[in-house]
Amino acid sequence: MNLKGSKLTAALLLLAALGIAAFAGMNFKAMWADDVFVPEPGFEKRMLSEWFSGLAGTPADTPVYIQSGDEPGGTVLILGGTHPTEPASLVTSVLFLERAKVTKGRLIVIPQANILGFTHNSPQEAHPQSISFTTEDGGKRIFRFGSRLTNPVYEWPSPDIYIHPASGQQLPGKERGNLNRCYPGVPDGSLTEQVAYALTELIRKEKVDLAFDLHEASPEYPVVNAIVAHERSMELAAMTTMDLEAAGIAMRLEPSPKNLRGLTHREWGNYTETMPVLMETGNPVQGRLRGRTDERLALTGEDKAYVKASALGRLYIPYDGDQKMEYRVGRHTAAIMSFLDNLDMFYEEKGVLLENIPTFGELQEKGVGIFLSPLRN
Amino acid sequence: MTLVYRAIVLFVLLLTIRCKFREKDFWKQATAALVVIPLVLRLLMIK
Repeated sequence: MNLKGSKLTAALLLLAALGIAAFAGMNFKAMWADDVFVPEPGFEKRMLSEWFSGLAGTPADTPVYIQSGDEPGGTVLILGGTHPTEPASLVTSVLFLERAKVTKGRLIVIPQANILGFTHNSPQEAHPQSISFTTEDGGKRIFRFGSRLTNPVYEWPSPDIYIHPASGQQLPGKERGNLNRCYPGVPDGSLTEQVAYALTELIRKEKVDLAFDLHEASPEYPVVNAIVAHERSMELAAMTTMDLEAAGIAMRLEPSPKNLRGLTHREWGNYTETMPVLMETGNPVQGRLRGRTDERLALTGEDKAYVKASALGRLYIPYDGDQKMEYRVGRHTAAIMSFLDNLDMFYEEKGVLLENIPTFGELQEKGVGIFLSPLRN
Repeated sequence: MTLVYRAIVLFVLLLTIRCKFREKDFWKQATAALVVIPLVLRLLMIK
């Protein structure tokens, strides 16, 4: 259809474009609002910039929560939200933040390691902007569902190739915005590299004995329902894997590859004295085989295409039609608690003991929301 | 560097709007309007 344009149509179209930009802009800006957490009263809130002042005043500075028990012991770190597209990571760390009562040692929880990943969605993935849970009082707890990478508004321009500073390893340029490729970090590097540096500094200065980095992976990815352990953590991880298997929770145990650089399970082990552990659960909302992508998929993992893929033997997890959030969080929770038991058993002086954490069975029976704190008015 | 980037975006945005007002074909004007949306969001560092 041949329509003639004029100054009037140009002005009207410009107004329409600005209106759409305003609407889209407000939608995008809504993801800059902080998530609300209700820490268990024993936690003290600090900021990551206290361990690396270069982050002070930047939007990448993220809250760090610390609780000490009455009995002396070691220090354990639970890091969530390295990749905001892996929501069981955030939710598990929030569960510990809102419920844990530390009786021995010290617990550090960082629910949103890459907080700038929570401020936007990945283009062309159709991911939801948030996920929500119903609490015991019928209220809602809403958490953002962000992107795997740091917001490019603050992490640009991406190089064509990201050369990992500590090793010279070459990766696609966008991976410089992937926190779990930037360790041990660089104090004067990109914002993501600075966050990695600050986290490494925290582990070093706080003498963290055991450090968890929680993740999720596609069901068709081989490293899933797995623990990835550095050489220093391998003995503890092997004991934990056996305990979990005995409890009916099948878990792979993978050694951290020595030549795969920039990841927590490698660099935390190489550059600090901690025992690093990375854990993965199966998450269809990340997978390339998925169909309709929305909050329901993020929470339930129910997807017809994955049922077919499972029947064809293409998956690395048992898949009976879903991978519910309570199952994924339950796996992470059970594994962390088992690690803590073994840490206390084999290295008593480094032990950290917690109470009030729901068991795997309780999470399956009651769901996650019931164990999150209702929002205070 | 961010200021240079934003200056370039502003320059391209103004050129796009200028072309749009000089264009006689409605559909090409509409195409220019579509281009304006991401440029505004980038200029404001929203997306």
